[in-house]
Amino acid sequence: MTHPDQTILALYAGQDLGWFRRQRTRRHLAGCRECRDEVQAFASARDHLAALNELPAISWNRLAMEMKANIRLGLAAGECVRGERMADALGLFGIFSGARTVAAGASVIALVTMGLFLERPTPPAPPAISSDGAVLRATASGIELNQDGQTLSLLHVRSGDVTYSAGVQGSMTAGYVDADTGNVTINNLYVQ
Amino acid sequence: MSSKLAILFVAGVAALCAQETPANNPVKINLPPDSPLTLISTDLGDSHVSQRGSAVVLDLDVGLTLHNSSPNRVRGVTLLVAAQEVTPGGKASVSVPSLDVAPNQNFPVRINLRLLRPAQMGSGPLVEVNLDGVLFQDYSFYGPNRLDCRRTMTAWELEAQRDRKYFKSILAAHGMEGLKHAMLQSLSRQAERPRLDVQVSRGRAVASAAVGEHAVQFAFLRFPGEPVEPVAGWAEIAGNEARNPRIDVHNLSARQVRSVEIDWMVTDRQGKQYMAGSVPASGPEFNLKAGSTSRVLQDTALRLSRLANDGGTPLSIAGMTGFVGQVEFADGKVWIPNREALANAQLLGILEPSPEEQRLMDLYRKKGPKALADELNKF
Repeated sequence: MTHPDQTILALYAGQDLGWFRRQRTRRHLAGCRECRDEVQAFASARDHLAALNELPAISWNRLAMEMKANIRLGLAAGECVRGERMADALGLFGIFSGARTVAAGASVIALVTMGLFLERPTPPAPPAISSDGAVLRATASGIELNQDGQTLSLLHVRSGDVTYSAGVQGSMTAGYVDADTGNVTINNLYVQ
Repeated sequence: MSSKLAILFVAGVAALCAQETPANNPVKINLPPDSPLTLISTDLGDSHVSQRGSAVVLDLDVGLTLHNSSPNRVRGVTLLVAAQEVTPGGKASVSVPSLDVAPNQNFPVRINLRLLRPAQMGSGPLVEVNLDGVLFQDYSFYGPNRLDCRRTMTAWELEAQRDRKYFKSILAAHGMEGLKHAMLQSLSRQAERPRLDVQVSRGRAVASAAVGEHAVQFAFLRFPGEPVEPVAGWAEIAGNEARNPRIDVHNLSARQVRSVEIDWMVTDRQGKQYMAGSVPASGPEFNLKAGSTSRVLQDTALRLSRLANDGGTPLSIAGMTGFVGQVEFADGKVWIPNREALANAQLLGILEPSPEEQRLMDLYRKKGPKALADELNKF
């Protein structure tokens, strides 16, 4: 059986093939599980890319800095492999056994950290507080107080991880490290 | 930028500047004459104006350079940000804790603010920034303290000392390798911390809460040496909503307590715990003399859901846990739980990291363990 090449499968997954070629590929896919899996993988990757497209304007310098920091983190975690005896003495990684496991764990940590960064535009815990017309909520870029169609927002535009918390007396807090100043900054909004 | 936007920007900034009589600036910074901080410069950086329908969106990127003109080291600053014409029912603040600013040193504070308002507004000042408080190394304080920032900055400073002490002890006992492991653990905890989508309504009932509502008791965690203990507590639960928490607290200490903050966790049907919020009590109506019992009460409803990337489904509340997160005495001193107590109660993986731990993690990620060790050794 002759399989369509990767380009055709990728275009099929994106519904970008012409009608004739599309019908031909569809017939092939009906009888070829291997190619169906390929198409599925392309479609899945396309969904991820679509999600990434929703990122707001990215500061590439800052992204580079973050990536460098995460690589450093990965390297540091990798060094823990050499310090396995040390870890045993500390009991910090008692559940791991073997250098490979530690290296895999380090990679996962680096990956999770990077993932968290990339996920940042959709904040992890967007709480909202309302009080008689005034509404407090977390948005992708900050915390926002909305009243009668007017809004006041405090933004965290130069930040890595952001922690949100809600005070039930009617406050919203976002804490982050400002990438420019290196200072922790804590933004608060209150409804009166 | 298109030519229309450029014209809009120029017109907007001109209009804003026209409103600001004294400084010719859309942002008015007010520091009292006897302030220990002086304003060196104000930079409006990437500030810009754009139009959204009939409204104007102002993005203010305000970089302040402040000077410590006091004889003490500054540990924290809180600025009160007011835009009364836009949000008469609310206020905002920007705090910078975990500072270490020596006398005669300058330091930056950045305020990123967005205002959405009708194009036609009055001529009052657009944004006013006032100093609400400065905390010094010796815990002395300057400022009007309108936002109760003295208590929060003191608590942050205590947390900073607590967490630095912990990492310094790791460094002393196990060297750089130990510090690396401890930092990786902190980063891992932060990445895995369970989070919820929390909505809080104040001063009014949530419509759906009436169906199947029943009172549920809090379980309490106790810490050794805590000056105030929670005695009993309830909240009404209906599905994923918890309303009107009432918690009785008893003052175990010999001092009068000015305020108490109870941290509130919820447990789902699978036994997973999440931080829901904090329940503070303070003010003249909250009177907790030595040996007395008082009630922490908030007319509040929490609606809890899983995050959108975790299905976004309502969280069925199976249980609630509370613990004392902060106590402020009448003399202004503050108590917080120590790190060992939090670790023993397995709270480190649920609570948010302190601002200082956030700063140290960031320093480690960006500059490595040597820079972190140097920073810890400064204190």
